[in-house]
Amino acid sequence: MQGLWDFWAAYRSTLAFAIVNSFLALSTYAVLSAGILSFATVTYAAFGGFLGARMVLATGIDPMLTLPAAALAGAVLSYLVALIFLRLESHWMALASLALILITRVIVINIPVVTGGVNGMSVPLPVSLELLAVLIALAALVFWRLSVSWYGIAAQSVREDTAVASSLGIAPRKIQTIAFVISGAVGGLGGMLLAGALQFISPDTYFVNIAFTMIAGVVLGGSYHWTGVIIGAAVFTALPVIAQAIIPEFQDVANGIVLLLIMIFLPRGLVDPRAIRLRNKFQLPVAQAIKDTSSTKLDI
Amino acid sequence: MDLFFEQLINGVALGSLYALFGLGFGIVFATLGILNAAQGTYASWAAIVALAAAEHYKLPFIPALLTGVVAAGVIALLVDQVAFQPLRRRGKDMLGALITSIACWIILDSLAGTATGHNSLSFPRGTYPSTMYHLGTIPLPVMQIITIAAMVAVTVGLHVLIRHTRFGAAMRAVGWDQTAASLGGVNPRYVVIITAFIAGSTSGLAGVLGGITTHNVSFMLGEGLMLKGFAAVVVGGYDDVRGTALAGVALGVLEVMTSQYLSSGLRDGITYALLLGFLLLRPRGLFGSLTYSRA
Amino acid sequence: MSETGLPQSLLEISAVGKNFGGVAAVSELSMVVQTGSVAGLMGPNGAGKTTLVNLISGLLPSDSGTIRLADVEIQRSPSHVIAELGIARTYQNVRLFSGMTVLEQVMAGCYVRRGTSLWASFLGLPKARAARKAVESHALELLDRVQLANRAHLLAETLSYGEQRRVEIARALGTSPRLLLLDEPTAGMNAQESNEIGKLVHSLRDGGLTVLIVEHNVQLVKDFCDHVTVMNFGRFLADGTPAECIAHPDVQAAYFGKTTDAERIRTLR
Repeated sequence: MQGLWDFWAAYRSTLAFAIVNSFLALSTYAVLSAGILSFATVTYAAFGGFLGARMVLATGIDPMLTLPAAALAGAVLSYLVALIFLRLESHWMALASLALILITRVIVINIPVVTGGVNGMSVPLPVSLELLAVLIALAALVFWRLSVSWYGIAAQSVREDTAVASSLGIAPRKIQTIAFVISGAVGGLGGMLLAGALQFISPDTYFVNIAFTMIAGVVLGGSYHWTGVIIGAAVFTALPVIAQAIIPEFQDVANGIVLLLIMIFLPRGLVDPRAIRLRNKFQLPVAQAIKDTSSTKLDI
Repeated sequence: MDLFFEQLINGVALGSLYALFGLGFGIVFATLGILNAAQGTYASWAAIVALAAAEHYKLPFIPALLTGVVAAGVIALLVDQVAFQPLRRRGKDMLGALITSIACWIILDSLAGTATGHNSLSFPRGTYPSTMYHLGTIPLPVMQIITIAAMVAVTVGLHVLIRHTRFGAAMRAVGWDQTAASLGGVNPRYVVIITAFIAGSTSGLAGVLGGITTHNVSFMLGEGLMLKGFAAVVVGGYDDVRGTALAGVALGVLEVMTSQYLSSGLRDGITYALLLGFLLLRPRGLFGSLTYSRA
Repeated sequence: MSETGLPQSLLEISAVGKNFGGVAAVSELSMVVQTGSVAGLMGPNGAGKTTLVNLISGLLPSDSGTIRLADVEIQRSPSHVIAELGIARTYQNVRLFSGMTVLEQVMAGCYVRRGTSLWASFLGLPKARAARKAVESHALELLDRVQLANRAHLLAETLSYGEQRRVEIARALGTSPRLLLLDEPTAGMNAQESNEIGKLVHSLRDGGLTVLIVEHNVQLVKDFCDHVTVMNFGRFLADGTPAECIAHPDVQAAYFGKTTDAERIRTLR
């Protein structure tokens, strides 16, 4: 029993980070599921994280109240980003979102009053595992509802073939703007949770590194369903921790290798609704065919 | 006034590094159609290998440099065949290759960290030329001259290769459409491999020279060059080497001048502001070409 | 205007033009499609037929001229607005959404007539759920019309080519259009399948739909089109009844070449 308890204590923080990373991954998925590759989640996270932390430190209000504020801040920022970025072609937009991250860091360094500048700031925000569990459950509920609603059908259509979706009366700009706002809210919240989990944030916290690992986790888990995204984030967080026990010093390499293998052999990720359907749907005609032939008496 | 010229030369030398790196990155982007997140690691590893060659195997400057450059080319080639080639059969998809390049970035960066013991290493004195020339009263380290000269030579060489040789035409054809290129008599696999090697070694050259002049041989060397090289490619025009070179040098000068006369905290800001500005307003860069696509 | 108050001509195209770089894909094209008719659009490959369809459906903006759908100008409207106004289309190469079942494809087509707000649908309100059920049964009805109701829950991409084309038609019908544009709907089909498509088109027309078909299949055009327009090199060549167009010397020359050309070639030897 004590062994189990020790195990739990040791891996609590890994679980906490897995949940926090899931938020960032879901934020990226929110726009990816509408056909947009964007790294801007990191910017929303920075916005939510620094703003939330500074609000608590400066005004001493209950951290719980700042969580929705971080989400709202992220949503407002993402709406503005959508207004500017949705005019661009898809590959330029992806690069522009990368540039946005780079500029965000410069801004963060140059407003030390809010962000603590180059040195960063410590974040005395208690973020309990219970709170994280509740929040991720809420997020899962939201993404589930989105996927089964009319928005889900519209977003999937826009992602698969934007021109055709438009010819069916689905306005891509409108759907994608909604996607951006969802991404911003989830990203802003995730950024604040990250700040609480790390207890310290600096300009390097919200930078290219997490942008890349975030998108990698999304694609690894499966960018075609929200459950895959959460699984991917969890795997990406837990893998180095597990690998550290086996091949210390090379634990990060494990992530890279697993990612490479998955991309080559399972390009649609671990959770792929289409693959699941293909496996099941093919049974219907075959099962029917078997039933049809078995009803005729064959003299062999 | 002297300070201005000294910083100007510093800026040109720094910009030459950005330009050199950007040339490699731009070739992969324009010809192979891949946003290669691992490109920076080629530079880091070139510096690491060159340092090992100079320090442990006591190779003189040029052979050590060449060893690093060739090593980067080989790594780039391996990354292309392992991470990008399996995806090519499945058709065009920027996301797939980006993710596998991220995978390689993770692997190579992590290994680079292990190789340098997570420290920033320096090339020992004597492993590289350190003569100090003077332009009037302005000091001019020979390494800066070498860096700028290398950038000019490589830019001219690549421009001639891409625009004025049959192989260059093959490169551009493969970049546009591999199947069509092969129908035209080009062996795409061969072209892709050679292109990957050239791109890798060019960025590798930037890595070795950068590692020497900035006294920073580590995985961070590559990451720093990556962001600026990327900016140079976008601002200059992703399919024109002259544009990339020009933009790289200009960015280097702008950076040094901003740091000197405005504030060092804004140093990177101007580069990234230009980058974002171009992406929003003129994505093809200063000298890039427009592309048409049939609806 | 006829007595019922419906416009006589549903679609009016007037001197429409479209350039790609230096190539005039369509120039000075004018034609009219009468309400409740089946109109054919013919011409050799490269004549600009699909470009014209792309202009009508809003995939491309016109460079010049006007396109009117029942007195509303649409030549520079985005395609989702045009879809809301009542134009639906299919594609030369079937473009179904990958990963979706047959029913889901048609549901996507029913988006414009979903009858509930996105918010209500997200929250799962009872009214939204009822509306959703109604749309689903409507989608199944549409699948029934194209004889694919029994395939509703299969992945669309696993169906045969002919069945996929029918799914695409059902999806387009989901928008409850006034005008349906079919781009070579019988390409790759045999005579019997093509005939089925023709009969489907007629039954749609009898239900009040106006149809414009781009076709190479002369038999189909003869049997099922009320009026035909022929294009060549992006320009208007001839129009009239199917029989008139097929017998037209310019149309025959466009498809088969002129007898004077044959003479000239013989003299070259």
